[in-house]
Amino acid sequence: MSRDGYTGFSRGEARTRTARTLSFENVGALGKLAKLPWGFVLLIVAMALTGVAMLYSSAHTNPDESNLWYLQLTRFGMSFVLMLVLALLPLSLWRTLAIPAYAFTIVLLILVEVMGVSGGGAQRWLQIGPVAVQPSEFAKLATTMALAWYYDRVITPTSGRILIHIGALVIMLIPAALIFKQPDFGTTLALVASGGVVIFLAGLSLRVILFGVIAGIAAVPGIYFVLADYQRERVDTFLAQMSGESTNALGESYQIEQGLIAIGGGGFNGKGWLQGIQSQQDYVPEQHTDFILTVIGEEFGFLGTTTLLLGFAVILGWAFYSASQSQSWFGRLASAGAAATVAFYIVFNVGMVIGLLPVVGMPLPLISYGGTAMLTTMACFGLILSAHMHRDEKLSSTGLI
Amino acid sequence: MKSKRSIEDDFSRRMVLAAGAGGVVWAGLVARLFQLQVLEREKYQAAAEENHIRLALAPPQRGRILDRFGKPLASHRRAGRVSIVPEQAKDPAGTLAQIAAQIDLPDDRIEKITREITASRRRNAGFVPVIVANELTYEDFARMNVHAAEIPGIQVEMALTRSYPRGRDLAHVLGYVARASQDDLTRLSTGMVEDEAIRLEKLFRHPDMRTGRQGMERFAEEWLRGKPGFRKLVTNAHGRVIEEIPDEKFAPVAGKDLYVTIDSELQRAAIERFGDESGAAVVLDIETGDVLAMVSTPAFDPNDFVNGISGAAYAELRDNPRSPLYPRAHGGVYPPGSTFKMVVATAALESGAVKPTDRVNCNGYYHFGNRTWHCWKKGGHGSMDMHNGIKHSCDVYFYETARRTGVEKIAATARKFGFGEAWTLGMTGARGGLVPDAEWKQRVMGEPWYEGETLNFGIGQGQLGVTPLQLALMTARIANEGRSFKPKLVGLGPKSDGDGVLDAPLDAEIMQRMKAGMFGVTSEGGGTAYRSGDLGLGGPRLAGKTGTAQVRRITKAERDKGVRKGVDIERELRDHALFVAYAPTDDPKYAISVVVEHGEGGSSTAAPLARDILHFALKNDSRRKAVYGKTASITPAGAGEPT
Repeated sequence: MSRDGYTGFSRGEARTRTARTLSFENVGALGKLAKLPWGFVLLIVAMALTGVAMLYSSAHTNPDESNLWYLQLTRFGMSFVLMLVLALLPLSLWRTLAIPAYAFTIVLLILVEVMGVSGGGAQRWLQIGPVAVQPSEFAKLATTMALAWYYDRVITPTSGRILIHIGALVIMLIPAALIFKQPDFGTTLALVASGGVVIFLAGLSLRVILFGVIAGIAAVPGIYFVLADYQRERVDTFLAQMSGESTNALGESYQIEQGLIAIGGGGFNGKGWLQGIQSQQDYVPEQHTDFILTVIGEEFGFLGTTTLLLGFAVILGWAFYSASQSQSWFGRLASAGAAATVAFYIVFNVGMVIGLLPVVGMPLPLISYGGTAMLTTMACFGLILSAHMHRDEKLSSTGLI
Repeated sequence: MKSKRSIEDDFSRRMVLAAGAGGVVWAGLVARLFQLQVLEREKYQAAAEENHIRLALAPPQRGRILDRFGKPLASHRRAGRVSIVPEQAKDPAGTLAQIAAQIDLPDDRIEKITREITASRRRNAGFVPVIVANELTYEDFARMNVHAAEIPGIQVEMALTRSYPRGRDLAHVLGYVARASQDDLTRLSTGMVEDEAIRLEKLFRHPDMRTGRQGMERFAEEWLRGKPGFRKLVTNAHGRVIEEIPDEKFAPVAGKDLYVTIDSELQRAAIERFGDESGAAVVLDIETGDVLAMVSTPAFDPNDFVNGISGAAYAELRDNPRSPLYPRAHGGVYPPGSTFKMVVATAALESGAVKPTDRVNCNGYYHFGNRTWHCWKKGGHGSMDMHNGIKHSCDVYFYETARRTGVEKIAATARKFGFGEAWTLGMTGARGGLVPDAEWKQRVMGEPWYEGETLNFGIGQGQLGVTPLQLALMTARIANEGRSFKPKLVGLGPKSDGDGVLDAPLDAEIMQRMKAGMFGVTSEGGGTAYRSGDLGLGGPRLAGKTGTAQVRRITKAERDKGVRKGVDIERELRDHALFVAYAPTDDPKYAISVVVEHGEGGSSTAAPLARDILHFALKNDSRRKAVYGKTASITPAGAGEPT
């Protein structure tokens, strides 16, 4: 499919940019690296290092966990290199890899179903040699890429028909269904949400979206009954908490309560690094993974949490802006979808920790301890960066496939 | 159909919409954080504080009990102990099995611990340790320490345990401590308001708390206990202690040390001298009334009771024919036999019924009414005055003297000496014995007093019952020539009935006569304990009086055949041997009473024992100044001042 007819591309400004980009390609990888938006990259590094510091604070008192910060730092280092490599990949290669990656992820998800390792009431881990991976994490990025690839193929200047979105829906719902079956409600929701953003940006009629949302709300009671027991318990806890009912202090609500005490107890300024009472004494379960925000909240207060959210907002805002600058549908949608994926991680995690959402088991990107999430997040940034580097490419599909 | 341009514009518009929606969500998150961290921060800060500070009861360290020279009689010993923290031991049965693989742990003990673990979980979520084994041997403690890391949820530690370094020596004086039972709590909380009682119960539930069950430990409970404090503990979410915030304000106040007047070296020497014999001995300082030794042997080891004695071990003590639990010195009631003769003589002289020079002829028997009373010496002593009557312990002389004096006078004098009164001095198990008289007999037996009984009374037999402590008190008052006197066991501690003076002066001149008689017993030819008079210190002698307490009645047939002695009769049917004495004779310092149960003869077994104990007391200077400060020496009756 050709993009030649695009009026937007015919602007003089765009042409100059294209020329500049092309000249840098000749300089090679190093020159390309120098061309990276380093402000964005350094912000990511700063956020990740903050996460390592918080991890140290959260786990250093426990001998079993005292070296987690170091592990996390190592992982971040490796993921960072991966991000840079991914950033340098031509966007066309990303597009080429979209379908293989998607297919591979679906295979992994099926394998999880067949021979996965259970943990925390769900079967979502796949043991590959010494490492346990969580294919559902990769599925988010792979699905985004697949959706971008799909729209890149089907959107024509004259398209606008509702029917083209059915294919996108299928691409999104296959992994969603597999993940839901594990069961992993949170990841399913995140995947559908970020996929939904891509579909929305691709132009699905607002009326249809409105209808979909209403149908979704109507389906909520139905979903409630297909949830696993522990998931239903979480929803119950959440509803009870919302309505002010007291619940079993040692169950899910205990975690939320202790988390709220930590965050609220931090006050405006926070208690200082390593000084959090709740954090240092293990009051909040999973405080080094999903509930790491409680440590930040307690030790750095409102200033810390808002600065963190501001940091994320800058990263995501820039990513969105960068996506809007892309000349290819693949670049636009993949980049925006990747940003949306990270954004939903953040919203679900923060919303859960501060008691606005049920506990869904979602890590805080760049901050929470955990390898797979770190890898996915950094890969998303890699994709965003690649789209940014190649924003002026029109990606003639005929030439590449 | 939309135009090309409109698709591009639509995309841009939708990007802005999506970003705007994200912004709204972000603002929502920040608003919620603002609510939590700024608007409601005080509520959460209070909750956090409440969350992690726990005030744990800190039991006070119990005061020690020391002898007059500051030697510890009851103190603390570090003992290895293993406990389980139920919260950390996910599988208590497995943990117990692992412990049992290292140290000896009987099945019934395991059962008991399992129940305690369940209770602990219910009460406090299981972070308060449950003791598995106390008093580990060094080897067990070392082994447990090595394996502690592999066994989940256990604590191997050194703890302070009440200890009685002198073992059995002072068992009946000190008593022992034990975990407070419901009975103990009821007793201790008598008269308390409900709050106080609840606090007390909580305190005693602490695994390190003990309460005095017997003896001085019980008597001085409050003096020794101290005041509990609190430990400000920072706990984590599981209740596990993370750190302790030191706070002087909350520190427990240790109990006060209690001093007793005992010289533990003298006590030890006396017990060793008793050897396998059972009996009692009491040594008093005749100037101050200090009890320097109070022997009751055999005894039990109070250390066995501290952590709870097993049923079998207790049954063994209880059923032992030698009765080690029996506090003979202050709770053993014996007929005083001839040691009572000084009381009879004193009563006779006080009442004027007999003059010292009045003579009684002894043919070996005494007729009264239609019965015949015998003198211990077949064939009799011949003509006896009071001095000789005491010296030879002539029964006939005292039949006559008692008859002339009358039961009421003798009983009154006996009470003046301190008989009939239970001197607890802060100990448990004290008994007063019995000083019989006509009123008592009418009241208790519903019969009038027969004059024949007065004759038995005259030689310290019949219903009369005294304790070795009372005998020592009597002897001390003779030795100090009648000055007012109360025996005293608490040197520095709470007031006991041994404080102050006895408002019952005795006539000095009469007491001098008694002393002369007792001197005759041990130092003049014909005295019943002539051989025991020399203290073996190259000069100082003792003055004393023998006594034999009949355990059974001698039948006519036996008397005709000749009274059987020694090995011929069962041990438990043999007479008790008694001896009372003071020393040195020229400047009396110590008074002693000795009872050797089934020892047959006062002169043969009890007197040499008393001599050796006094020998030690003099050599060791047991009455020298006590470390706890000046002891008030006795002053005339009425002028006494409690110390």
